[in-house]
Amino acid sequence: MIVQMVLSVLLGAVLLHGWTQLRRSPLVAWMSLTAATGGLYLVWAPAHTTEIAGMLGIGRGADLIMYLWVCISLNLLLSLHLKQLRQQETLTRLARHVALANAFVRTNDVRGAAAPTVARLQGDGRRSTRMRGHTA
Amino acid sequence: MRVISSDTVWIVCPAFNEERTLAGVLTRLIAHGYKVVVVDDGSRDKTREIAEGLADAVVSHPVNLGQGAALATGLAFALAQGADYIVTFDSDGQHRATDIARMIATLKSTRSDYALGSRFLAGRQRVPLLRRLLLRAATIFTALTTGLRLTDTHNGLRAFTRRGAAALDLRQDRMAHASEILSEVARSRLPYVEVPVTIDYTEYSLAKGQRASDAVMILLDLFARKLHR
Repeated sequence: MIVQMVLSVLLGAVLLHGWTQLRRSPLVAWMSLTAATGGLYLVWAPAHTTEIAGMLGIGRGADLIMYLWVCISLNLLLSLHLKQLRQQETLTRLARHVALANAFVRTNDVRGAAAPTVARLQGDGRRSTRMRGHTA
Repeated sequence: MRVISSDTVWIVCPAFNEERTLAGVLTRLIAHGYKVVVVDDGSRDKTREIAEGLADAVVSHPVNLGQGAALATGLAFALAQGADYIVTFDSDGQHRATDIARMIATLKSTRSDYALGSRFLAGRQRVPLLRRLLLRAATIFTALTTGLRLTDTHNGLRAFTRRGAAALDLRQDRMAHASEILSEVARSRLPYVEVPVTIDYTEYSLAKGQRASDAVMILLDLFARKLHR
């Protein structure tokens, strides 16, 4: 019973995680929800484990549970990867905003000058003329 | 020879550690009368100094983000400057400035919004065998995933109208950006055309170019992008 409770809490956490990801990563979220629901069912109906494993051609019930856990783990890894991608997108937007705000824009036709006149851009790309080297 | 046109053409040159080739590339573009913005993608060499000495504008990423991110930054800059046409042009010296005028002219004559350079429409060219096979596989992949029938899917020389550039929503920072651009071209449903262009392969440009192993990462990036909003 204790192990069942612990596993239920863990799988409940996976369910919650899947639910929070439904809007951003629907496919990954549904995979988490399905695997965790299946896991909960097997935890509370262990007698069915071997029967279902046999139907799926796996053989032993313990193997079925292990495969299910591997699926959940891989899915969580994928979810973490997607989260990292979203953070990368945020970083890119921030870096782009900074880069555009500090863009060097030549306002004269003298190329190769040591300190040419430049205009700096606001974050939205609008131009506000300032002298390079005289900016705060 | 300088271009005489009432249209504003901005050339976007993404550059990461390109001090060896950038000056030559910019000199040729400026000689043709184009406005050039270099997007310095966090270079650690003299790329930024060279760009600030020659280009009309330089936008510098504070950290290296990838060529896709640099192109998106360049497009955002050019659109903010009121560009009528925007051309993407690699900084490693593999493209010819003389091809740009033909691409812009083709956009106008065909009323297309995207002119995509193709090395395979320009007669016989010395394309290394492995690269040819890789590019062939990429054209099949593009046809299957986007429905676009192209002869060259990974050519850095592209020209967009203002409307075409504004319709692109680019989120792939790194190697998958070329595939993403084509995916966005398909999604926009705006007209596109391929234009023959010449690629000048050098040891330098080949070393900088993508490898066969990169294809796996590109597929993974594209797949991951499909999984989240």
